Amino acid sequence: MFGSLAALQPRQLAAQILNFALVLSTAFMLWKGLSVFTNSSSPIVVVLSGSMEPAFQRGDLLFLWNRGIETQVGEVVVYNVRGKDIPIVHRVIRRFGGGSAPLSLLTKGDNNAADDTELYAHDQSYLDRSKDVVGSVVGFVPFVGYVTILLSEYPWLKTAMLIFMAASVVLQRE
Amino acid sequence: MHNTLTRVQNVFGFFTSVAFAAAAAIAISVLLSPQAPTASLELRSVQVVKGRPHYYSTKREEYAHIKFDLDADLTTLFNWNTKQIFLYITASYPSSDPSTIPPSEAVIWDAIIPSNYAPWHQNTYIHPTPKATTKVKKTAKKGKKEIGKAYPAGAQPGIIKLDGQKPKYQITDVSSKIADRSNATLTLHWNIQPWVGALVWTNTKTVGRWQGLQGGEAKFNFPPLKGTEVKKDELKTETGGERNRGSPA
Repeated sequence: MFGSLAALQPRQLAAQILNFALVLSTAFMLWKGLSVFTNSSSPIVVVLSGSMEPAFQRGDLLFLWNRGIETQVGEVVVYNVRGKDIPIVHRVIRRFGGGSAPLSLLTKGDNNAADDTELYAHDQSYLDRSKDVVGSVVGFVPFVGYVTILLSEYPWLKTAMLIFMAASVVLQRE
Repeated sequence: MHNTLTRVQNVFGFFTSVAFAAAAAIAISVLLSPQAPTASLELRSVQVVKGRPHYYSTKREEYAHIKFDLDADLTTLFNWNTKQIFLYITASYPSSDPSTIPPSEAVIWDAIIPSNYAPWHQNTYIHPTPKATTKVKKTAKKGKKEIGKAYPAGAQPGIIKLDGQKPKYQITDVSSKIADRSNATLTLHWNIQPWVGALVWTNTKTVGRWQGLQGGEAKFNFPPLKGTEVKKDELKTETGGERNRGSPA
C-alpha cells in the first residue's frame, strides 16, 4: 500500500490530496447550505428511539424545515431538552400563544402513553417554539440513517471508514 | 482499472442511484392518486370540572372532557405510498387576545390507522365494534383470539364510525381555566405518513386531483364549571386499544 503511495510523483500526490480535500469541503458546504436554506441547525436527523413507532423507526432519516415558525398541532417537531443535548422527535399535541405572544407547545411520542411533561426540564411544562425546537419534520426516508447509528455505537467503524475513504481517494489513479 | 474493488464500487453506485430515482418517482407519483375525503364530526357532550387531569399532574386545575360522534370516509387517502394515517381531533378556542394571538389548540383524540400492507404494530388503533354485536363476540372469543382492525368489520382502512366516543385526552389551558369559553371548534385532522417521501397534513382546499376535506368541523362552547355532581365514570378517557410501550424519549 505504502509502496504504491511512494511510487506517485509529488505533483500527482498533491493533486490527489487536494482532490480529497475538495470532496470533504463540498460535502461540508452542502450540509451548511441546506442548514441555511431550511433555517435549521441540523436539517437532516436520524431517529434514535422507538417512541414515534410505527411512524418512525430507529434509523429512519428525517428532513426538517424550520421556517414555519407558527407550528401547528399535529406537526412532528425535533426539540432539545434544556440542559441536555439529545434531539427528540415527537408530535405536538397542544399549542398556546403564537402571533405577538411566545408560542408554547406540548409534545408526545405516538408510542408513549403519557405526554412529555416529565421529559422536559424541571421547571418547564411547555416547549418554547423559538428556543427549544430545531425544526418540523417534512420528509421521510426509511432505514438509510442506520449507518450513523452503527457508526456511533461502534466508534472503530468511523476510523476504519475514514481510513478507507482517504486511501481510496489518494490511491485511485485515473 | 477493472479490479474487484472498482466493480463493487460501480455496482453499489448504480444500486444507490436506481434506488434513489425509484424512491423519488414513488414520492412524487402520489399526486396522481385522486383523493375525496369526507367526514361528519359532531359534539356529543362537553363538561368542565376541576381536579387533577393525570396521575402525574402537580396541581388541581380546570379540565374539559369532550365526547363526540365521528363518521368518516378517508379511504382515498390510502394509496400505494401510504404507510399509515395519524388521525386526530383537536379542540381550538380563542386566546386571551384574539386580535393578535391565534387560537389555542389541543388534541382530544387520536388514532394510528395503518395501511393493509403495513406490518402489525401493537400501537395501532383498534376500531370498537358496535354495541349490538358485543354479545356475539363474547362467544367467539373462546376460540381463536381475533386481532382487532382499525376499521369496522367488512370495511377498509379509512372508514371510521364512532358513536358517543370518549376522548383520549382531557384538555387543560395554560392559564388553568377553560370553563365558559365560547366560539370553540372541534376539527378533524390527519397526517399521512408515506413509505418514502413527504408527510402530508389535512387539506381543506382542492389541489389538483386532491379534493379538500368535506365536513369534519363542529362549533361548540365550553360550559361553566361543574362541581362534584358529575360522576367520575362520565369523565373517563379511552384509548383505542393501543398498547404504548415506548420509553419516554
